[in-house]
Amino acid sequence: MSTAVDQAVEAGPSTFRPTSMELQHRVEKFFSAEAELLDDHRYTDWVQLFTEDVHYWLPTRMTRTIRERDQEVAAAGENALIDDDLTALRGRVRRVTSGIQWSEEPPSRTRRLITNVRIDERGDGELDVRSNFCIYRSRLERHQDWFVGERFDLLRPAEGAYPYRIASRKVVFEQTTILAPSISIFF
Amino acid sequence: MVDIGTLVDSKQGLINPLIYTDPALYQLELDRVFGRSWLFLAHESQLPNRGSFVQTYMGEDPVLVVRQRDASVKAFLNQCRHRGMRICRADAGTNKTFTCSYHGWAYDLEGNLINVPLEERAYHNQIDKSQWGATKVPRVQSYKGFYFGTWSDEVPEFEEYLGEMKYYFDAAVDRWDNGLEFVKGATKWVIDCNWKFAAEQFTSDMYHAPISHASAMVALFEDPAMRSLFDPSPHDQGRQFAGHGHGTGSMGIPEFGPDILAGPEYSAWQIANRDQVYNRLGTDRAHKIMIHNNIFPNFSWLGTASTMRVWHPRGPGQIEVWAWTYVPKDAPESARKGVREVTQRTFSPAGVFETDDGENWTEIQQVMRGWKARSTLFNAQMGLGFEQRDYPGMPGMSNDLYSEMGARGFYQRWQDLMKNLSWKEIAELDAQRRAAEQEVQPA
Repeated sequence: MSTAVDQAVEAGPSTFRPTSMELQHRVEKFFSAEAELLDDHRYTDWVQLFTEDVHYWLPTRMTRTIRERDQEVAAAGENALIDDDLTALRGRVRRVTSGIQWSEEPPSRTRRLITNVRIDERGDGELDVRSNFCIYRSRLERHQDWFVGERFDLLRPAEGAYPYRIASRKVVFEQTTILAPSISIFF
Repeated sequence: MVDIGTLVDSKQGLINPLIYTDPALYQLELDRVFGRSWLFLAHESQLPNRGSFVQTYMGEDPVLVVRQRDASVKAFLNQCRHRGMRICRADAGTNKTFTCSYHGWAYDLEGNLINVPLEERAYHNQIDKSQWGATKVPRVQSYKGFYFGTWSDEVPEFEEYLGEMKYYFDAAVDRWDNGLEFVKGATKWVIDCNWKFAAEQFTSDMYHAPISHASAMVALFEDPAMRSLFDPSPHDQGRQFAGHGHGTGSMGIPEFGPDILAGPEYSAWQIANRDQVYNRLGTDRAHKIMIHNNIFPNFSWLGTASTMRVWHPRGPGQIEVWAWTYVPKDAPESARKGVREVTQRTFSPAGVFETDDGENWTEIQQVMRGWKARSTLFNAQMGLGFEQRDYPGMPGMSNDLYSEMGARGFYQRWQDLMKNLSWKEIAELDAQRRAAEQEVQPA
């Protein structure tokens, strides 16, 4: 006899993606290169990885019951921590490199771990990529924060030193109440 | 216990930093300040349906704010009367009943106890459920879509509590024919600082903006010529209001409508609908931006960006900020998008203004770990002696935009409550203070 709990667990699509080793390798190396730019405070170089039409989005999240879990992560048009186009993102980069952003002057020290890279290829060569991140920030004398979550990227193949541009990025934290006094770093 | 009467000298503008650090004072604050003031609970747009609820806090007390079957709003402590378990553990949602997940006591939308498991066998039918409902917030007041609650039976009615602040609060909440709504969802984050730093700043402090937020304008404007838009100017006629512990800083604008930060679509919508604002607020108020605002003790909003927030205390050295974005209910998505985005871009934990505030407050709190630092008086003397009553277009007491009259008023009200004066005694003191005003700076 199946119970209500059993019935609630519906089979979904397989999470195993048969990605070629070469593609997997290139995307992972791209993410490592991006993380290096941020950890080395090369923000002006970093922001060039985004396309003109990028949506850089960090929605808020709240605790909901299982029954209402579809409302856990804020939807488009709802409350967000960051909801930027490229103009706004460039503004943040101007600010962090201005030398007068006191929440990053002196700068934080960060180390980014980007893992569990999962790639879905679109027919047109663009890639939907999910990855997990664990970012450590050490600030001033003894302040520290952990930012942990998942990124949902749309990567567009590109010419030049980097094989992709980021056409869309959604960042979802595990924390609902952010246990940090500021989000003055990038994800 | 230190003498509360010596901690703040609002006449001389002196603050003893112990008020930000002392654990015993903090416990008294929860009782005497948060237990006896009107506290923001929710906006009506957060409770769209019967059974809609949000969990919030009154000080450190978790409360459920619930839309009733008759469409009214009630609030009760989110604590089971059996062993004190949190009755509801979601931040928001829609319910018919609230059932404690420890032993199963169940409460209705008003917080009445309606079911006790094994009532016959375990309680022998002898429990009087009517006596064991969740603790109700006895007074919940709706003001123009905003719900405030208090545990106190002696605090004056909400409008009287606001005093002249009503004029400035209405500038935000009574601006549009169909009112405001909150963008769905709250932003919540933790700052390791005393709650009074945040509340005082929104009451009284425009002074920090050009320095602390120097980089914000760099983010907002690529053109360096635009970055001096909000710099202090002798011509801006900016004034600060303070009264009953509340405060506002305002700045004149030549006309109502254009909003360079929220963008062309919102500006066009405001201009198309500006008769509403001129009719409801009058020209004087329509031609002012109420920049920073706080209703004592901990409900703040801005007029430059559309953020509203509560600074929930979490011990003497920590707060949780709960922030919402407010938009005119009638504004279409194309217009409100600009408001939402610029508000989140400027005032949120990732905001190009807000990140710098958290930096200041955490550093101050850290420095005060030192006994010498903690016993060195702070200066809140800016504009002392330059107060004016009923300056044109500024009901109540006002001063230059760059003053700390608001801070002095905030700490005066804090001290009145911390001394455990009754609200009747506070009203008498307020009357005496007002009578003594003539001795202060005339115009």
